[in-house]
Amino acid sequence: MDVAAHPVEQHEAHDHIHPAPTGFIQKYVFSIDHKVIAIQYFVTGLLFMLIAGSFAELMRIQLWNPKGTFMDYHTFNQMFTMHGTVMVWLVLIPLVTGSLGNLVMPLQIGARDVAFPWLNMLSFWLIPVSGLILFSAFLLPDGAPAAGWTEYPPISIQQGTGGIFYCLAIIVVGISSTLTGLNFLVTIFKMRAPGMTWTRMPLFTWATFATALINLFATVALSAALLALLFAQAFNVPFFDPARGGSPILYQHMFWFYSHPAVYIFILPAFGVISEVLPTFARKTIFGYKMIAFSSLAIAILGFAVWAHHMFPSGIAPWLQIPFMILTYLIGIPTGIKIFSWMATLWGGRIQFTTPMMYALAFLGTFSFGGITGVYLACVPVDFHEHGSYFVVAHFHYVVGGGAVAAFFAGFYYWFPKATGRMLSEKMGHLSFWLFMIGLTGTFMPMHWLGLEGMPRRYASYEVFAKAFPDAVFWNRFESLSSSLMVLSVLLVAINIIVSLRSGRRAGNNPWGARTLEWMISSPAPYYNFKKIPIVLDKPYDFTQPLPYRNLDDEHQDPYPVPSEAALPRGATAAVGA
Amino acid sequence: MSQVAPSAPQVVPVKGLGPGFGAVTVVLTIVNIAMTLAVLYLPLDFLLPSESNAASDSALAVDGLFKFMTVFGVAITIYVTGYVAYFAWVFRRRAGEPINTVGVPIHDSTKLEIWWTVLPTLLLVVLMVYTIVVWKQLQFPNTAASLTTEVVAHQFYFEFRYPGLQGSIYSPKGEMHLPAGRPVKILVTAGEGDVIHQFWVPEFRQKIAAVPGMVTELNITPIRTGRYDIACSEYCGKNHSIMQAKLVVDSPADFDKWLAAARVAAAKAGPTIDLATGDAGAGKTAFTQKCAACHNAAGGFDAKIVGPGLLHIIDDPAHPKLVDGSAPTPEDIENILVKGYTGPIGAMPNRQANGLTDGDIANLVAYLVSLK
Repeated sequence: MDVAAHPVEQHEAHDHIHPAPTGFIQKYVFSIDHKVIAIQYFVTGLLFMLIAGSFAELMRIQLWNPKGTFMDYHTFNQMFTMHGTVMVWLVLIPLVTGSLGNLVMPLQIGARDVAFPWLNMLSFWLIPVSGLILFSAFLLPDGAPAAGWTEYPPISIQQGTGGIFYCLAIIVVGISSTLTGLNFLVTIFKMRAPGMTWTRMPLFTWATFATALINLFATVALSAALLALLFAQAFNVPFFDPARGGSPILYQHMFWFYSHPAVYIFILPAFGVISEVLPTFARKTIFGYKMIAFSSLAIAILGFAVWAHHMFPSGIAPWLQIPFMILTYLIGIPTGIKIFSWMATLWGGRIQFTTPMMYALAFLGTFSFGGITGVYLACVPVDFHEHGSYFVVAHFHYVVGGGAVAAFFAGFYYWFPKATGRMLSEKMGHLSFWLFMIGLTGTFMPMHWLGLEGMPRRYASYEVFAKAFPDAVFWNRFESLSSSLMVLSVLLVAINIIVSLRSGRRAGNNPWGARTLEWMISSPAPYYNFKKIPIVLDKPYDFTQPLPYRNLDDEHQDPYPVPSEAALPRGATAAVGA
Repeated sequence: MSQVAPSAPQVVPVKGLGPGFGAVTVVLTIVNIAMTLAVLYLPLDFLLPSESNAASDSALAVDGLFKFMTVFGVAITIYVTGYVAYFAWVFRRRAGEPINTVGVPIHDSTKLEIWWTVLPTLLLVVLMVYTIVVWKQLQFPNTAASLTTEVVAHQFYFEFRYPGLQGSIYSPKGEMHLPAGRPVKILVTAGEGDVIHQFWVPEFRQKIAAVPGMVTELNITPIRTGRYDIACSEYCGKNHSIMQAKLVVDSPADFDKWLAAARVAAAKAGPTIDLATGDAGAGKTAFTQKCAACHNAAGGFDAKIVGPGLLHIIDDPAHPKLVDGSAPTPEDIENILVKGYTGPIGAMPNRQANGLTDGDIANLVAYLVSLK
């Protein structure tokens, strides 16, 4: 490859390497290293995931019997509110953008850190602070927030102190998200390695870029909504009180103006993960690089113009329904382009069934399915039936669980060796994969027909519905049993991590034989990431071409990386040229 | 760092579209046709909304749209998952294969990319047109309503009002009635100072929010007589999950009979007390004067003076019903205030003995309902 044919930007640098911190506090607690911060996000997110998951399990126990006598209604209402709130803001955002984004994006663009490392540290530490605020609501007599994760007024204003804690906690997460968005945008704009033009950027970084745009521009709307709600709760300001000239619908607009794009905050990085994992394990270049990259941007932009599809039967004007429906349908087009491009990536590959690849393959099915049920909900007349029912619960758990979480696990198994220098057990990985996918299907698939038959969501007791539809008891028990498989899966991930950290095989620089820049350096990456900033000549994904990099730290880098024997399932490989 | 010998990649070529591509496509197509026929013609009542439980004209329209989407949704699901599974299997790395084998270096195909952009777009345009036709029919029906009823949602019961009927019908004791075959307009709102609820009849396939300070409407023609559940489907507080009511769809003749009888009964009962005029503040004063000797308004059921404490009269999980076994609705509270109570836990005089005017009763009910 001819270097001169590719314009190489002049690398403006402050080009010296700071020494790594030696004290425990600077190294592991108040670290400004993006890789340590990524691990902090991961540990925090996983802990919150176990807590929010156990709230869900308590709900599933309650729903074992249609009468629902395991806990009282108020406790149940706190459980589903906290489950949703914690999962969205303290699990998904920290795990998907915080953890994967922080670990991978700076490495992929050949940077030594994010643009504002101190801000990055602040962003992370706001997450546990927010969690402390949110959970401390349990200590007061009114208990935790109990008006649903959406906290619609007026019900959220009636509930006492819980709502105030909710507003404060989520405003803090909002600050964290906004700062992270800003930080990542500046990093991607200013700190790409020389030669890494926009069309040579790895697709996970593209997805992180689109996500950062949403984080920066949408989160402020949420903060505004929650600030108004906080004033309504704490100081009786009548923003949302119709008797005093306010409007309860106003809040819903403000809330969904953020919270619809928020779905893309989890799902776009998930798309990015899939776009990295599929080529690596299909040993084949990504199909339709430009279309995948631009469809991320298209989704991010369209995502801002669809919020009212959450509100079709809420009393919005009928003429508003149709434009929002059409814009929502349009999102199906870039999403379809991605799915088809990923399928075409598989075609003609040499596919290795590693744990990350299993999650990525399953993602293609579960996410497509969740996307299709999304079209049903976007269809106004059908939504007038399905809104507020278990069909909605099924839809978003397919998108979030079968989409964002499945892709997160793909990314987790893929980049864990890079973060820690050790391999995870493939056996436990495969077992956790099957537990998760069987659990997901068993839990959420029946919710589709329960919702269609008339089971409303957020019910602590479904006695009346079970009389009209006796099968409901069987299906609810089936869901309750299935959901425990997902808990086992996550526990198994935790065990896998512990075993790997104690006795996992050494990963080496590039166990999977991948081609993006993060795999060109040692695992775990050194404190400064790159001693010499690499020069990028082309897109990374073409496995038949030599690596498009110059100036790599490892001068003996094989121009055609191959997976290490240790990283592949037993018997799957033979020596080169055998 | 170990030094690795350069290992030029070996491409494994693919003939045509891949081994067995045609056969797989045929199988997927057969599966798809079978599934489509099943969706359209099998009585999958437990899975999909179906005619057997559709109870309004809107339900038929919504189910038609639902099935249309399901035909395409099933097809997309089958082909996507089918081809993913097939590709993953047929293009898998074989055991013992050299470590440097790679897939075919195909990274673009403008033709394919145009196809999979244009086809979904066309499909969505067709769906858009179909949706708008159905939407227009539901939102702006051609026939004028022959009956307008009102639904007022409260925490945690529904109130139904009919033209010419004095007073309201309250769930769960009272039921909503509608005539089959006649277009009706249902105006929906929530009580003043109440929260947002939703009025959902699954067999109608329609729901609409009940928002305080705002009137929404559903235009619907029930098509099948029977008894149906009305559920609140917007989270509305502690007892959200037991906020249901019954809807009875009568034949037109039965409905007319019912409404006439209800009007006569309401008129016979004398000037009913209009609970809507009750003022909780005045009720508090009346309570202090007329009730506080026996009842405690600051404590729960067990905080007895003579009779039970009334702080949680409407929201006590341990005593979900009133002492006479009725639900804690304003109507039933009114009933006890009017008639008094004699039962296992004691006795309370009736309104005459207690000297309660209509106004007192309305105010007391408003006050008692406001206690929490």
